[in-house]
Amino acid sequence: MNPEEVEFLGEKQLISVIPTFNSSTIHLVSGDIGPFRASLPVNVPLWVAVNLKQQRKCKIQPPDWMDVERLELLKEAEKTSRNFVKMPSEHYMIEGKLLLSVAADDISRADEVRTIIKDIWDIRMSKLRSSVNTLIMGKSYGNVDNLTIMEINSMRPLIPHAMDQIHRMKMERSRFGTPSQSVSLALLNSSNVASTFK
Amino acid sequence: MDINIIENTENPQSDESEYEEIAHTAAEVLQLMEEAWLNEKFAPEILPHKYDIVECLLGQVSHVEENLSNVHNDDLRRSLHQMELDRLRYLVSSYLRLRLEKIERFVYFILKQEEERSQKGEENYLNDNELNFAKCYGQSLDQHFTDQLQFWPGNIPAEWKNQLIVPNIYSYVFMKAKNEIEGVMINHVNEEEEVVDLKTGSQILISYNNVGHLIRNNQSCLI
Amino acid sequence: MFGENACSLIRELDRNRGSLPPYNNEILGEVEKEICHLIQQNEADDFEAHEDSRVGEAVDYTATIRTRHAIIQRNLRCLLAYHYNRLRCLRTMRWEFGSILPPDIKANLSHSETNWFSKYSSMLATYMRSIGDDGGVNLTIDLNPPKALYIEVKCLVDYGQYELSDGSLVLLKESNRYFLPRAECEDLIRQGVFQHIVN
Repeated sequence: MNPEEVEFLGEKQLISVIPTFNSSTIHLVSGDIGPFRASLPVNVPLWVAVNLKQQRKCKIQPPDWMDVERLELLKEAEKTSRNFVKMPSEHYMIEGKLLLSVAADDISRADEVRTIIKDIWDIRMSKLRSSVNTLIMGKSYGNVDNLTIMEINSMRPLIPHAMDQIHRMKMERSRFGTPSQSVSLALLNSSNVASTFK
Repeated sequence: MDINIIENTENPQSDESEYEEIAHTAAEVLQLMEEAWLNEKFAPEILPHKYDIVECLLGQVSHVEENLSNVHNDDLRRSLHQMELDRLRYLVSSYLRLRLEKIERFVYFILKQEEERSQKGEENYLNDNELNFAKCYGQSLDQHFTDQLQFWPGNIPAEWKNQLIVPNIYSYVFMKAKNEIEGVMINHVNEEEEVVDLKTGSQILISYNNVGHLIRNNQSCLI
Repeated sequence: MFGENACSLIRELDRNRGSLPPYNNEILGEVEKEICHLIQQNEADDFEAHEDSRVGEAVDYTATIRTRHAIIQRNLRCLLAYHYNRLRCLRTMRWEFGSILPPDIKANLSHSETNWFSKYSSMLATYMRSIGDDGGVNLTIDLNPPKALYIEVKCLVDYGQYELSDGSLVLLKESNRYFLPRAECEDLIRQGVFQHIVN
């Protein structure tokens, strides 16, 4: 998946906004939003929130977790835990990125928030890198509980591809007793044909 | 905004597939489309088509477009609907494109499988229009290759039909269990089978051949 | 060496990934000649072998015949891969350029490839028309997830009044910032009137 697609998925997440306008309910296919009453909070999908904010038609109410104290605790937990900690939002990176870019004025201590989210991401990515070995060398499957879509996507294509190759070698060994180069190649697949000529 | 769509719920244990009529809200249909999109994106093989969902969503798109032409002087409403239409169109088109790409890449293999399914009286994975496209595409390749081999003394070989490009069903995928699943059999090369129970929401990296059936019968989805 | 020419066709493909070099009639002719030549030789040897066995002489042609056969198969595989991958590339171009190819690409196609392209174009169009009940869906657009309709731009010159597509007027002044629909900005960004502000 490319980053735009991951973002597309994250943009359906609901966010609370305080509108500066009045409007009756809008019937979107993804669900009704509104009615909008100036200064009464209402939940809308992230893509709507971003749009309204860009048109200066609302203030964003940052999600509960987007708060320096809460994030510090989360960061500590992530540091000390061997496993991946469950994130407060399946799309914490997307929400963080989009809201901090269009609504930094609505988020208290926005710069600190930005830094801690980045720290948490970094800790998780380095944990991921160090657990890859166990993932690959261990059983025929690996546990990726509590990893968010964006984190899982960062493992592609390398990790699944490595697993494919290992599987291929195991199959060959079980077929011939020893590793062999004769992997059955589909006739028309040029990348295979080309690589045998290199 | 309630709509009815017919969903074909396949039961992997029995050969009979039951039809169940489930009422879905438009929002639920959208959710199903998104899931079908991700499944198709990550599954190495082509999956049973979801044209019921596609058509339902396209119907919604036309419906909204129609209503939009009656909305005046409300820029906000208009622009939000417009944005959502763009999102829906992208989702549906991308899903159909993914399928078309697979159909082209594995055309001979898919045609063979569909033939076998028809013979066994099973549901096809492609819808009629996709199947037509697949046949035309296969024929156009045959024609092109045969044209190129006119110089061949004697019988023109049809090698491309003997060694098919097939999807690698052993490729590794990320899967999420939609509900509790007991007794997922995991095949190890050269070793005994292992049985794993999955909790609702648990996520694993696993070879597709072990879980393909869980995707097809909607117990799990790919992420 | 046998197989050399066929191999060079594949190398050519590999060097030009994503683009379509001129259809290589010359090398293809050489490969075809080589295949015909090897098949004739094998038939001749096969005939000899039968003759020999009739008169009781024991010359073993098996190894030679098999080697030639392997080369023929190799050449065949390269020929098919060459043609197949060119079609795949053409296919991608149908999605990029639509049903009318730019002349410089058209010039690189063989007659048969030109035919295939128009066949592919029409089968794709037929399929796209068949989707849904509303006259079809054009799958060659909406290629990327939609992004925010509004972007922030900085005006670099005193432009004056500018009319948006909905008829409303905006007064564009130097160094002011505006939130405007992306589609409206693209031209002015190209003209250097606006600068896109990326956070």
